[in-house]
Amino acid sequence: MALSRIDTTNMIEDVPQSKLDNNINFRNIIINGDMSIAQRGTSTSSITGSDYHTVDRFRTAISSLGTFTQSQSTDVPSGQGFAKSLKMDCTTADASPSASDQLIIQQRIEGQNLQYLKKGTANAESLTLSFWVKSNKTGTYVANILDNDNSRQISNSYTINTSNTWEKKTLTFAGDTTGVFGNDNNTSIELNFWLGAGSTYTSGTLQTSWTSTASADLAVGQVNLADSTSNEWYITGVQLEAGTTASDFEFLPFDVNLERCKRYYEKSTDYSVDMANGAQNVTYGGPGSWVAFNTSNIRTPVIYFECQKRATPTLTIFAGDPAISNGNMGWYNGSSWQDGGNSINKLTAKGFYGTYNSNSAFGQFNAYLLTINWTADAEL
Amino acid sequence: MINTVEKIYDTLTNTSEVYKVTYQDGSVKSVPLDEANTDYQAILTWISEGNTVIDNPPE
Repeated sequence: MALSRIDTTNMIEDVPQSKLDNNINFRNIIINGDMSIAQRGTSTSSITGSDYHTVDRFRTAISSLGTFTQSQSTDVPSGQGFAKSLKMDCTTADASPSASDQLIIQQRIEGQNLQYLKKGTANAESLTLSFWVKSNKTGTYVANILDNDNSRQISNSYTINTSNTWEKKTLTFAGDTTGVFGNDNNTSIELNFWLGAGSTYTSGTLQTSWTSTASADLAVGQVNLADSTSNEWYITGVQLEAGTTASDFEFLPFDVNLERCKRYYEKSTDYSVDMANGAQNVTYGGPGSWVAFNTSNIRTPVIYFECQKRATPTLTIFAGDPAISNGNMGWYNGSSWQDGGNSINKLTAKGFYGTYNSNSAFGQFNAYLLTINWTADAEL
Repeated sequence: MINTVEKIYDTLTNTSEVYKVTYQDGSVKSVPLDEANTDYQAILTWISEGNTVIDNPPE
């Protein structure tokens, strides 16, 4: 058959080239910047310790500065496309921080995702941070970027001008010609949103150019969000990108965002089910069976994660039936669930298996139903 | 805060690649011997402070 000419009548001719020429896809260095993913749960109260509490990838670093409830909120800036925000609500105040007290919301980024910034070379890229923020506590706040590989930092301050009103902030950080990021899976950048600090972090000079990290310079001028139980702070739309201008927030599909988060944290239950001991979820009687390799020992199958982890994760087991002790696996003897301990023999970035030992309880090569729930944590 | 750390041995190979860690709040976690794992980094610090890992290899 002869080839015919291509009809160009209805073809798109005016592709917006300006939006194609510079790393448009995945340009946001921040993962889950729209706060849409919260695998650990949507609210945690009585927070006094540093950890990942609700919204994925956003860590709370807190040291003796009040008590907070953190939640994934539906309070968002109107008409901007966001559905969720991260909220910090002070429930016990500390109006007089001790010197070393701190309160930070932060995200840590792997060095291998940052090589295109060319840090430590003459061609180092600037970075622009944009986000939406809201608080009743007006005044000066500090955001900084720490280079964890070379102990360097750069900071900027921003002002919340109007109480209880969403405001968009844009901060630009110069490129750094000193200090190359490690090309690995460890933390190279730590983006910090300071919410309160003692004099250890406020007694110096805010460094708006890259310099060696000095604690006294990190949070100069920062207001104290912990000084009243009336205080709340919301944030969403966090985007950190190469260059000196902020582009529109890069929205990703929910499933893509969730998969990116699972590189750092994954749970065996459905997304919307909070992890708890005794809950009979998908792994009740599955996903495989114990096998007795002799009369004293049974071994689980290899249980694979849905997403390969950043590093070998920490595994936490939750009982899959109320009859089993908290934190343990379970096996079925034909009439009831039995405790299977929590000895995990092998852990990799892709999965794990465990073994249970009981003197002469098993028929060699027999299979027994398995119940187990788990979380795998490979956060930075 | 870490309470105890115990080596877990594979009963087939008699090798150990995982620590069973009990924290002061009673929670238990399985932590791999991977220096990129932040919980393992905390264990190394805990050991450097003079604490000892429980090691009962299979007979």
